[in-house]
Formats: sequence, C-alpha cells, structure tokens
Amino acid sequence: MTTLTAPRASGRSSVPTFRSRATIGAKHSAPGALSLVAMIVIFVIAVANQPGILSVYGLTLMLTAAVPLLLAAQAQMLIMSVGDIDLGIGQLVGLVTVIAATMLTTDPLLGVLALLAIVGAYALLGLLVQKRNVPSIIATLGMSFVWLGLGLQLLPTPGGQTPEWLAQLSAWRPDWIPAPVVWIVAITLVAWFLAKRTRFGTRMRALGSSSPTLSRAGWSLSRTRVLTYAAAAVLAVLAGLVLASQTQSGDVNSAGNYTLMTIAAVILGGGNFKGGQSFPVGTAFGVVTLSLITVLLGLINLSSSLQSAAQGLIVLAVLAGRVITERFVR
Amino acid sequence: MNALNATKTKTASRFTWPAWGWSLIGVLGVWLCIIAVGGGNPGGPVLQALSLAPYLVLVSIGQMLVISLGPGNIDVSVGAIVSMASYVSVAVGALAGPLAGLAAAVLAGVAAALLSVIAIMLLRVPPIIATLATSLVVASATLLLADANRAGADAALRGFVNARVFGIPVTAILVAVLTVLIALALKRTMYGLSVAAIGQSTLAARKAGLRVTSTIVTTYLLSGAFAGLAGGLLAAYISPSTVLGDSYLLDSIAVVVLGGTLIAGGRPVVAGLWTGAVFFVLLSSLLNLVGWNLGAQNVLKGLLVVVVIVISSRVTKTGRSTLSRFLSSLRREPAATPTPADTPALTKENTHA
Repeated sequence: MTTLTAPRASGRSSVPTFRSRATIGAKHSAPGALSLVAMIVIFVIAVANQPGILSVYGLTLMLTAAVPLLLAAQAQMLIMSVGDIDLGIGQLVGLVTVIAATMLTTDPLLGVLALLAIVGAYALLGLLVQKRNVPSIIATLGMSFVWLGLGLQLLPTPGGQTPEWLAQLSAWRPDWIPAPVVWIVAITLVAWFLAKRTRFGTRMRALGSSSPTLSRAGWSLSRTRVLTYAAAAVLAVLAGLVLASQTQSGDVNSAGNYTLMTIAAVILGGGNFKGGQSFPVGTAFGVVTLSLITVLLGLINLSSSLQSAAQGLIVLAVLAGRVITERFVR
Repeated sequence: MNALNATKTKTASRFTWPAWGWSLIGVLGVWLCIIAVGGGNPGGPVLQALSLAPYLVLVSIGQMLVISLGPGNIDVSVGAIVSMASYVSVAVGALAGPLAGLAAAVLAGVAAALLSVIAIMLLRVPPIIATLATSLVVASATLLLADANRAGADAALRGFVNARVFGIPVTAILVAVLTVLIALALKRTMYGLSVAAIGQSTLAARKAGLRVTSTIVTTYLLSGAFAGLAGGLLAAYISPSTVLGDSYLLDSIAVVVLGGTLIAGGRPVVAGLWTGAVFFVLLSSLLNLVGWNLGAQNVLKGLLVVVVIVISSRVTKTGRSTLSRFLSSLRREPAATPTPADTPALTKENTHA
C-alpha cells in the first residue's frame, strides 16, 4: 500500500464498507426473509378469508397470543445464540403464571423473590453448563421436571387469581393501533438492541461461534454464559407474567407447547443450532408466522383434530423453502 | 470404533466401572429404602416395577439409538407415537385379532417415523424440529382415531400383558430378550457399529465408507417402531388415551441419560436402559409410599437428572468410565476440558452433512 492512500486504504480494510456490510447482512438474513414472505402470504390468505381482521380489533385478537410466545422465543434465541438449547422454557413460563396467580397476589414480596430466584437458578444453570461441560439440552430438560413439579406443588389444578396491576397490563387497548403490535415491535427492538448493538451481545455470539477466541480476548466464558442464561430467564419470566395477565389465572401446563414452538420460531426466523448468530427480528417473524397459522387454521373451519397436523406440515414446508433459499444464496 | 477397542483392552487389564453402574447403585439404594419403609416381601417392589418398566425400556431403546447418532439427534415424537399406536392397536385388534393389532401399531410407528426421516433427509430439517412436526401430525391422527374408536383392548392381549411366569411379567422377559438382541446387534453387526461410529464422527464414518444415510434412516424408523410397539402393548396394559404417551418423551430421554449412554452420541449403553427404567419406576413407588405428591416427585426426578449428568460428565470424558477416572475427577480439573462450543461444531456436520 502506498503511504499517500494509507489512511483511506487502512480505513477500508479495517472497517467494512456499507456495501460489504449490506451483502453479508443480506446473506445472513435471507433465511429469515423467507419467514417474512411466509408471514405475509399467510396474512393475505387470512385477510381474504376474513376481511374483518384488518381492523384494530381484528389484529388485536389475532396477535394477542403472539406476545408471550415472542418473549419466550427471544429468550430461546439468546440461549441458542451461544449454541445451547432450552428444553425447559415451556414449563418455566407455566411456573411463572402459577407464581403470578398465587404468591404474587397473596404475598407480593415473596412472589418477586420467587421470580428472582428463577433468574438466579438459570444463572446457576449457565455456570453448570460452562464449568462442568454439561449438555444444555439435558440440563434444561431435567430442570423442566423441577419447574413442573414446583408448579404442581403451588397450584395442583389451574386457577388462582392474578394481581390487579397485572390485569391492567393486557387491559391497555388503544383505539388507533393494535396493542399487540406495539408490544411485538417493542420486544423485538429490545432484543435486537441487546443481541446486536451491545458489547454483551457480541460476546454472546463469540461464545457460540468461537469460545477460545473469546477467552483469549480476555473475557470470561463463564460470565458470558451466566449473563446469557440470566437474560433469557428474565425474558421467560416476563413471558409468564404477560401470559398470566392475559389468562387471568395460573396453570403450569398452560405453556407446555412453548418449548418446541419457541425453537421452531427461532429456526423459522433463520436461526440454527450451531450458535454464534442471533436473529431477534427473524424470531419475531417466526413467532408471528406460527401464531397466524394457528388463527388461519381456525378461520378456514378446519376440523380441530386436524389443526395440529396442518401446523406441523406448514412448519416443514416453510423450512423446506428455507433450505432451497439457502442453496440459492450460496 | 477406536474407543470400542480401547474399552476392550481396558477390561482385560483391570476392573472397568460400567457406565450403568451409577443407576444400578440408585436401583439398589431405592430398593433398600422401600424395604426399610414399607417392609413386607423384599422381592415385591421389584416385581411390581418390572411390570411397568418394560414399556419405558421399549421406548428408550429407540431414543438411545437415535441419541447415539450424535449431537442434534433426538426423537421428540415418541410420546405422540405411543398415544397414536395405542388406538391403532385397539382398532385393528378389534377387526383382525390382537396380533394384527400389535403389528399395525408397529407399522403406524414406522409410518410416523417415515415422515420424520423424509423431513430430516430430503428437506434437511434439524431432527428436533422434524420429529416435532411429526408429533403434531401424529397428535392429529390420534384425535381422529379417538373420535372414531371407543372400543377397549382385546381380552387375549390383556391376558398376555398381565401374564406372569414365576411371578415375573412375561412382557419384562420378552423385552429383556429384545434388549439382549439389541446389545448384540450394537456390538456385532455392521449396523450397530455404524451407529456408534456416526455418533463419534459423522465425517469419519462417511470417509470410512460406512452407509451413513441408511443407518440414520434405519435408526429413526426403529425408534418409531419401538414407540409403536410400546403403545400397542400399553393399550392393553392401561387403556388407549390421547395423553397416554405424554410422559414417555421426557422419561425416555432421562432413562437413556441415567443409564450411562453418552448424550453427545457414539456410545449406547443398553444395560443402562433397564437400570435407568427400573430406578425411575422404583423411585416413583418409593415416593408414593412415603406420601410425596406428584409435584414433589417431579422436582426430585428433575434434580436427579441434573445431578447425574453433572457427575457423569466428569467421569465419562472420553467415552470410558473407570472408577479411577472418577476419583481423579474429584481431585482436580481434567487438563484438556473440551468447551461446550466444540459440540455445536459436530452438530453442524450432522445436520448439514
């Protein structure tokens, strides 16, 4: 390199240009973009079937269930970005609804302490996975028994009463904009900022893609994984609180399908099991797509027995499409 | 397969602590507790456990084979298949006899697994999502079958699953024979060795000329078949229900892990399925005896799974587990601890190979 152009040349080599950033960004988000396409297609079909959806009320009704699922899915996304999988998140969200409907009403201080203890337990789980090299998939599976057991212990049958302030949360329904859309955008922005714009987010991805590099750069692997698990637990607790505020009751089994639905949402949104990448926006598309599929299947009067089969087959079809786009991009 | 040879030479030189040893200690410990608390005939609780354990072992055989294929491989459709197969067994059994019913249950399991295999192999969907989609489809089939069918299980089949020889349930004997056959197949046949080799390194297995694709396909189909058979038998032992198989998904994975099978793949431990399953069933009856409710039982079950993997992850670093290795692991950190980030690298090969 000549000395005259050195500043410019070095500037180009060390900082990626807008164009190269855009190309890499497009390559990484191509699988997630397919989820966006699937979401739009399903939305258009739903509107064609039932034009009433396009109103504020219709959209609110359609997307309400997506909000707690999105919070849980972003938690799953964080865990998956460090290369782990959480198989206990469904039971955890269920347990939080139980705590919200029992302890949080009768003894708010104890309830808050219980929720904090959950975050602490997750941090400990992260430490265990890092220090003892325990497979996260089994550790979280084991913990799912614990969450389920605690939930059954607190509230053997669904019921309870959520506190007044929690009910206010889902009672907020402005006339001019569907409330769930506001929540979905806000949650996605927070997750996007956390995963993509903070140094912690970068460290998280580094832990997933190349942990030796991270430790050689002077960062603690344990602290990164512990913080990731704690952040995921906070999101999962929020998911449980939102779900409890919507259903106004506690049920440890109310979110049983969240475990697999959140993984499916992250995968739909462009994620993978390798770790090292995070897809907060793609995950949001994935969650909305999955929720829309559920609503659409109800709209077209499909027999309720067949709905889960249709859901499974549509997920497979979207993922098959993703494989084709990935090959196309390569 | 180097690990297999290494284990053999090890056995010749000194005592090898079997991978299923911990769960056997667990079984004996729980058994002693039951005798101490409940009193009565010491063999009673074991015989009782042997009537429930075979179904769990059947489902776990398939799960163990799938998990042994390496990181990323797991079958989350077994629970749904058990429920569906229970209805198939009863419906076909009412028309064409109990044997045809059982065969139909197995075939239904294979058909469901075929959907997973198509998704994994042709659509390149990660196994956990592929089997999840299958379980959703199977759940629909179960609901349709449940609407159409209100019959009970065949009397002959009911007699068979409740039959005992010298007090030991016939199903336990037959499933024990089956596990011995599976153990032999894993040690002696091309298929069995391929499963372990693929679990250790898919890339190496492929380079060595093993039939990776057909081995993976066979394994998932076998898992479906075993879940189907378990469902078909459970239809007679309990009764068909849409939630019959729900607990079998988590329980089968827990039994596989408790039994000493490496969760990272490459080392199936067949004997551990029995110790793991009997331990689970015995623990359940002990806690019932003591008066623990379902919630507390689940908490203990979950903590046990976590504790066992924490211990076993230290003991079984390289696929062997010797007593000395365990003792040394208590004293100091192993020098070269593979980081968890190494595992996803293998997943990459498995899912994209």
